[in-house]
Amino acid sequence: MKIIVLLKRVPDSEAKILINKEGTGIREDGVKFVINTYDEYAIEEGLLMKEKVGGDSKVTVVCMGPDEATEAIRTALAMGADDAVHIADDSLSNPGPFTTATIMAKAIGDEEFDIIFCGKQAIDDDMAQVHCILAEMLDIPQVSVAIAFELSDDTTKATVSRRIEGGDEKIDTSLPVIVSCDKGLNDPRYASLPGIMKAKKKEIRKKSLADLGFSEIPGGGRSRILKWLPLPKGGECRMVEAEETPDAVRELVRLLREEAKVI
Amino acid sequence: MTADGIALLVILLGVLSAFAFVLRLLVRSLKLGKPEDRFDRWGERIWSVIVYVGAQARVLTQLAGLGHFIIFYGFVFISLGTFEHIGGMISPGFSYASIFGAKIAGMISWVQDVLGLLVLGAIIVSLFRRFVLKPLRLQIDDPKAKKEAVFILCLIFVLILLMFGMKGAGILMDPPKVDRAYAPVSAVVAGLIDGKADPHILERVFAWIHHVIIFYFLIFIPFSKHIHILGAVPNIFFRNLGPGGTLSRMDFEDESAEKFGNSEVRDFTWKQLLDLYACTECGRCQAVCPAYLTEKPLSPFRVIHMMRGHFVGDRQKLLEGGEEAEATPIIGKTVTEDEIWACTTCGACMQECPPFIEHVQKIVDMRRYLVMTESSFPHEMQPVFRNMEVNYNPWSMGFSTRADWAEGLDVPVAAEKQEFDVLFWVGCSGSFDTSGQSVARAMVEILKRAEVDFAILGVEEMCCGETARRMGNEYLAQTLIEANIENLNKYRFNRILTTCPHGFNTFSVEYPQFGYEKTVVHHSQFLLELAAAGKLAGTGNGSKGVYHDSCYLGRYNGIIDEPRELIKRSGAGELAEFGRRGKRSFCCGAGGGRMWMEETIGKRINEERVDEALALGVDTIYTACPFCMTMFEDGLKARDKEEEVKVKDIAEIF
Ligand SMILES: Cc1cc2nc3c(=O)[nH]c(=O)nc-3n(C[C@H](O)[C@H](O)[C@H](O)COP(=O)(O)OP(=O)(O)OC[C@H]3O[C@@H](n4cnc5c(N)ncnc54)[C@H](O)[C@@H]3O)c2cc1C
Ligand code: SF4
Ligand code: SF4
Repeated sequence: MKIIVLLKRVPDSEAKILINKEGTGIREDGVKFVINTYDEYAIEEGLLMKEKVGGDSKVTVVCMGPDEATEAIRTALAMGADDAVHIADDSLSNPGPFTTATIMAKAIGDEEFDIIFCGKQAIDDDMAQVHCILAEMLDIPQVSVAIAFELSDDTTKATVSRRIEGGDEKIDTSLPVIVSCDKGLNDPRYASLPGIMKAKKKEIRKKSLADLGFSEIPGGGRSRILKWLPLPKGGECRMVEAEETPDAVRELVRLLREEAKVI
Repeated sequence: MTADGIALLVILLGVLSAFAFVLRLLVRSLKLGKPEDRFDRWGERIWSVIVYVGAQARVLTQLAGLGHFIIFYGFVFISLGTFEHIGGMISPGFSYASIFGAKIAGMISWVQDVLGLLVLGAIIVSLFRRFVLKPLRLQIDDPKAKKEAVFILCLIFVLILLMFGMKGAGILMDPPKVDRAYAPVSAVVAGLIDGKADPHILERVFAWIHHVIIFYFLIFIPFSKHIHILGAVPNIFFRNLGPGGTLSRMDFEDESAEKFGNSEVRDFTWKQLLDLYACTECGRCQAVCPAYLTEKPLSPFRVIHMMRGHFVGDRQKLLEGGEEAEATPIIGKTVTEDEIWACTTCGACMQECPPFIEHVQKIVDMRRYLVMTESSFPHEMQPVFRNMEVNYNPWSMGFSTRADWAEGLDVPVAAEKQEFDVLFWVGCSGSFDTSGQSVARAMVEILKRAEVDFAILGVEEMCCGETARRMGNEYLAQTLIEANIENLNKYRFNRILTTCPHGFNTFSVEYPQFGYEKTVVHHSQFLLELAAAGKLAGTGNGSKGVYHDSCYLGRYNGIIDEPRELIKRSGAGELAEFGRRGKRSFCCGAGGGRMWMEETIGKRINEERVDEALALGVDTIYTACPFCMTMFEDGLKARDKEEEVKVKDIAEIF
């Protein structure tokens, strides 16, 4: 069984995010980058399936990101992934989901695969689109926000559960399939030290856009990020207090009318 | 030579060669372990043996130890008698009297008699303790252990009776073999048996039974808990003479290694294996273990007992099979993961252990295996490791916010100052924890008032690595240690000041393993210096407080008086004392990374300690460790006493 895991390098969720002066991205000083949280579930699920099926099963990590993303890729390799494709090109910065998916589709098209696991969303720009577009481009079924994944014994089908409002939805799918993973799917493992040591020697195939046969950034022009803006400073909060609720409401209405002048 | 002399000689030679064979097995079994250098400081090592074997200094820290002292010396003197008697049987005419003269031989005989009687008394008391008093420290869930202990006590009892019988009959012999004047107890026995049977025959019969038991003992010892007779002396000789609070430095050079940490016999060093042969099963470690005392599955006594059984069971196979032999895993059945994770590394066990067994390193060595090789640990530890890796602190706080606590306080930062006298190591707690931050702020205020030339590392500071190390993540710990050393080396300063005993300990005794040596002061010492120099004046609050000794400050580093002196100088009112204090303090429950693990089994350790404080009727608990502080605050909340009793760091009382 050949499994591909998509891995995005994102700022650590605890990092202080500040927009740069030009409004073209974030300030990277003082920011630590990590594997996208949801991609960790994807890696773990890939490894679990590899362990389950055994034989010559293999997990390949595919990542698009700057050179520094190597660190995140090595972490995935330390967890147990077998090798990786790293798409890095200086001309790529903040590509939109369509561009990302187009490049990924090309890179993945060069690989063999039965299942693609990815995160349900990247915690930085929260698009949740890459996998949907990718499924279309590769022309394979897609199940998103998976909280359980069950491979049939003959490894030709899978049953995927998704948590939806009020219950779980179970979906049968044929393979190959792309599954986006949510929290709860599994408990991502902590890389063992022999794993970390071995990861240093595992192959990372680095590819530029040219290597993938693109002469320019694909998919541009469909959507474009114009500008990144800092959040407006939050206004002051005033608590309305009163013994009885109707009095509080009366006071609130008065404030809205006389001070805020909105009603 | 008489016929029975010849028979005895033959048996003796047989027994001695069997004993030699067993000794060889023991030494070879130790060689299964990894190397460890314990061959330095011979003078101190010999002195250790004099103090701790000869004078039984640690054994005698408890009243029950007197029993051991008596049995120990009783055995020494009685063995002298046995030696003389066997010698006499084999070579008639051999006796101490003929070598040393009647006077000295008589004195030996007299001491034998008196000690013999005392030993009988000591054994009765021991059996009474085991069967009636059943002290906590002797409880173990292995029925074999108790049976064995009782069997050996009874055997010694019988041996002493036989000795008196032999000597009593010896007095009656013609000519008398034993001088009545030097054998007060045997003389009484002589009176009892006089005229009952031929004393010559009686003496021989008693002697034979006695010697056969002794021979049996010689063979039986190495397979029983009394192997400590063989193990304890070398163990005390080879004891750790360095600071107690260090863990071994692991080497990660070999990138093809498949295994890190210890999971089987051969992973431990020879000295760690010798520890197993040295355990006397006194249970003193267990009686002070915070985990054991709060119903956790861990008992340091049990760990050592079980590991010895495991070692004894596995050694033959490993010796025969060579390097290829597959060892039985220790973790799982012999020592469970729950036990391994329950330890706070408080060191109380090691403080008490008469033969100086080192429990903590073994437990951490097994943690190392679980974390680094198996990735198997309580699930709540994973985010802690992640946070330390990504943000260099155990809390999930962005590393770039590390110095946020200092905002508005105008705290000098090393990167700007470059050269200063004191580097104030704020630590993770001081940087991120609310209570810790208030200690850090109080310290800064004091440092400024006293015009100390200081700086902090600010966002360059990372977790000191102590916690990761004790949680078994040596790889992560070393990453942090090396990064910190690199940052520290950028600046010129004279001393590191910490408010955290864990940082204090790790900088003083663990960073030197990585080539970094700097004078380190704990704030209890530093503040006392300032107070002595008149730069710190107490305000006086008239409270009734009690000071809690942090394990890594008091027990491991002997800083016991300084904080108390400081509290007195602050003008605080009455200072009560815990029963368990100083070197024998009781852990708050946070050490060894336990701060970051759930405590779901048994009573919470911090609540146990808070109850102890509440029983003293205090209104203030003084601490000198941010983790102790948190544990007390939580414990007081659990007891609904956080309004009445306040927790204060010693920096917050000036
Ligand atoms: C149905 C739906 C409901 C929503 N409801 C809400 C709501 O109620 N409230 C709200 O605030 N928002 C809502 N959203 C918005 C949502 O939170 C985000 O839009 C979306 O989940 C964020 O994902 P993303 O596009 O950044 O992920 P993507 O960027 O598309 O990433 C998805 C995955 O693709 C892979 N990937 C992406 N980029 C790379 C790369 N460079 N290299 C390798 N792999 C990569 C990774 O595996 C990643 O985890 C909703 C969105 C949807 C679709
Ligand atoms: S170090 Fe403390 S917690 Fe650990 S076994 Fe020893 S006494 Fe118990
Ligand atoms: S380890 Fe030490 S203290 Fe514990 S039972 Fe053995 S000898 Fe006694």
